[in-house]
Amino acid sequence: MLIRTEETKAVPGPARTERPAIAVEHLYKAYGQTVAVDDVSFTVHAGEIFGILGRNGAGKTTTVECVTGLRRPDRGEIAVLGLDPRRDGRELHERVGVQLQHSALPDRIRVAEAVELYASFYERPADGRELLATLGLEGARDQSYAKLSGGQKQRLSIVLALIGRPEIAVLDELTTGLDPEARRETWALIEGVRDRGVTIVLVTHYMEEAERLCDRVALIDHGRVVALDHPAALGDRARTGQRVRLTAPDGFDDTVLRTLPEVSSVERHGRDLVVVGSGDLLTAVVLAFDRAGLRAQDVRPETANLEDAFLALIDETTKETKR
Amino acid sequence: MSALAIGPRRRRQAPPIISLTPQRRRAFGLLLRTEIKLALRRPIGVIVALGIPFALLVIFGSIPATTQASAALGGISFFTLYVPTLLVFVLIAVGLSSLPQTLATYRQQGVLRRMSTTPVPPSWLLAAQMTINVVLAGLGITILVGLGALAYGLGLPPTLGGWLVTLLSLVLTVAATLGLGLCVAAVASSPQVVGALQALCFYPLAFFSGLYVPLQTIHSTALNDIAKVVPTGAGFNALHASFLGHSPGVEPLLVLAGWAVVTGLAAARLFRWE
Repeated sequence: MLIRTEETKAVPGPARTERPAIAVEHLYKAYGQTVAVDDVSFTVHAGEIFGILGRNGAGKTTTVECVTGLRRPDRGEIAVLGLDPRRDGRELHERVGVQLQHSALPDRIRVAEAVELYASFYERPADGRELLATLGLEGARDQSYAKLSGGQKQRLSIVLALIGRPEIAVLDELTTGLDPEARRETWALIEGVRDRGVTIVLVTHYMEEAERLCDRVALIDHGRVVALDHPAALGDRARTGQRVRLTAPDGFDDTVLRTLPEVSSVERHGRDLVVVGSGDLLTAVVLAFDRAGLRAQDVRPETANLEDAFLALIDETTKETKR
Repeated sequence: MSALAIGPRRRRQAPPIISLTPQRRRAFGLLLRTEIKLALRRPIGVIVALGIPFALLVIFGSIPATTQASAALGGISFFTLYVPTLLVFVLIAVGLSSLPQTLATYRQQGVLRRMSTTPVPPSWLLAAQMTINVVLAGLGITILVGLGALAYGLGLPPTLGGWLVTLLSLVLTVAATLGLGLCVAAVASSPQVVGALQALCFYPLAFFSGLYVPLQTIHSTALNDIAKVVPTGAGFNALHASFLGHSPGVEPLLVLAGWAVVTGLAAARLFRWE
C-alpha cells in the first residue's frame, strides 16, 4: 500500500535519480510470538529529514535498529548508503551517526572526555570543541554526565551522533522528556544539522514535531506503514473529522445541514446538535443558518488537536488495510 | 583470553589489537585510559582489591606468633599459609566484584548499547575492563608478595621452576575468577542482581581459599575434597605448594583451567550487550 502511494503520487522532493540514502523493503521482525515489525517499506532521499511517526510500540525503534545494524531482521531488504547493515556494520557505523533511546554514557565521564573518546572511534571525526560550542555545551565541558540536565544530555547525544561526520543521522525520540522550550531549541538544532547536508531520520511520537521538521513522514502502526506523505498532506487528511456543537432554534430541520458538502453527519439530542465534517466546517454551518434566516446559539467548534486527529487517521487507515 | 572469545556473535569478530590501524589502536588506548580514569573516580573497587589484603597482610605480619613455624600447621608459619589465601582473595575481589559490577552497570545504563552504534564494538569496552582488572590483580599480587617478602620474611619459591609454577598457578586462578565474574555479569540483569550473586558466591569461595580459617586445621576430608574442585580451593592449593617450592601436582592446575574454560564459554554464550 505504501509502495502504491509512492509510485502513483508525484511527490516533489530531491531528485529521484540519485541512490536513496536508505531503502527498506518488506522488513519483518518478530520477538518470539510478538511481531514488532510486520511489513515496513520506505526510502529516504539524501538530504531530507524523514520522519518515522507512530505510537509507542508501533515498531519504530525496531525498524531503526534494523536499519542501523543493531538487530537482524527476520525478512526483508535494507540498504543504507548502498551497504547491508548485517554485513557491513563497521562501515555503516562509520558513516551513520545514531542517537538511540535508552542509551547513555557512564555517570562519571566528563563531557569533554566523552566527546574526545567518541571522536577517536571514527576515521575522520569532526571538531568536538566546535560541535560542543554549536550545541551550547561549551560551558559544560568539565561536567560529569550524571550531573547534566535532560536537555544537556540530549544535546550531548546529538554531538556524539554527529562527531563522526556522518552522512546520515538517526535520531530516536530525541525530544521525549524535554520541556517545550528545550524541544523547540532542539528542533532548530536538527534543522541546522540538515543544512550541513546530513540526511536525518527522525523517530518520534510527537505529531507536532514531525509536522514542523520533516520533509516526509512514514506513519507506522502495528508494524506497518499506514501512510507516507508530506506532513502537511498527512495533517490535512488527519484534520478531516472536525466537529461543531450548537444549539438550534425550535423546529429546526437539520437537512439544511446534511446537504452541505462539508458535513458528513449530524447528531441530534433534542435542540443540541453535533455536526461532523471537514474543511471549513464552522463557516459552512454558520452560513447555512444565515441563509435559512435562522440563528444558531452556542456555536462551539471542537478542533480535535492534531495528536487526536493523527490517532484517528491511524485507526482509519488500519481499518482500511484490514478490509 | 576469554575477552576475545566473547565477541558479539551477530557482528564480525574484532581483529586482535595488534593488527589494528593506528587510528583504531589510538581508540583502544583512549578507551582504556578513560576507563582507568573512571575507575579511579570511584575507587571502591581498587580499595577492596588492594586495600583489604594490604591491611590483612600488615595485621597478620605484625603479630609475632603468626610468623613462627607451627607444628599444628605442618611446620610452617601461619603467615606462610595465609599469603596464598590473600592472593586468592585479591583475585576473587577483582574478578567477582569490580568487573561484573562495572559491566552490569554499563549494560543497564545503555553504555554498551550506545557503543554498538559506533565503529568500535562494545566488546572493546569488555576488553578494556578485563585489561584493567588483570592489571589491578597483578598490582595486588605484587604488593602482597613484595611486601610479604621484604617486610615479613615471606618465603619465596626457591627455584626458577618454582617461580614458573607459581606464575602459572596465578594466571590460571586469574582466568578462573575472571571467568566466574563474567558469568555473573552475563546472567545478572542489573547491578543489584550482581550484588546479590556476589554475596552468594563470595563467602563460600572465600571460605575455600582459607580466608576465615585455614582448611589444613579443619580435619574434614569432605571439606578438603570439596576444596579441591572449588576454584578458590584449587587456587590456594596450587599457590601454597608452589610458594613452598613443592610441585602442586597437575590436579589443581587442571581444575583451574577447567573452571576458566567452562566459565569463559558459558559467559560467551550468555553475555548480552543490552
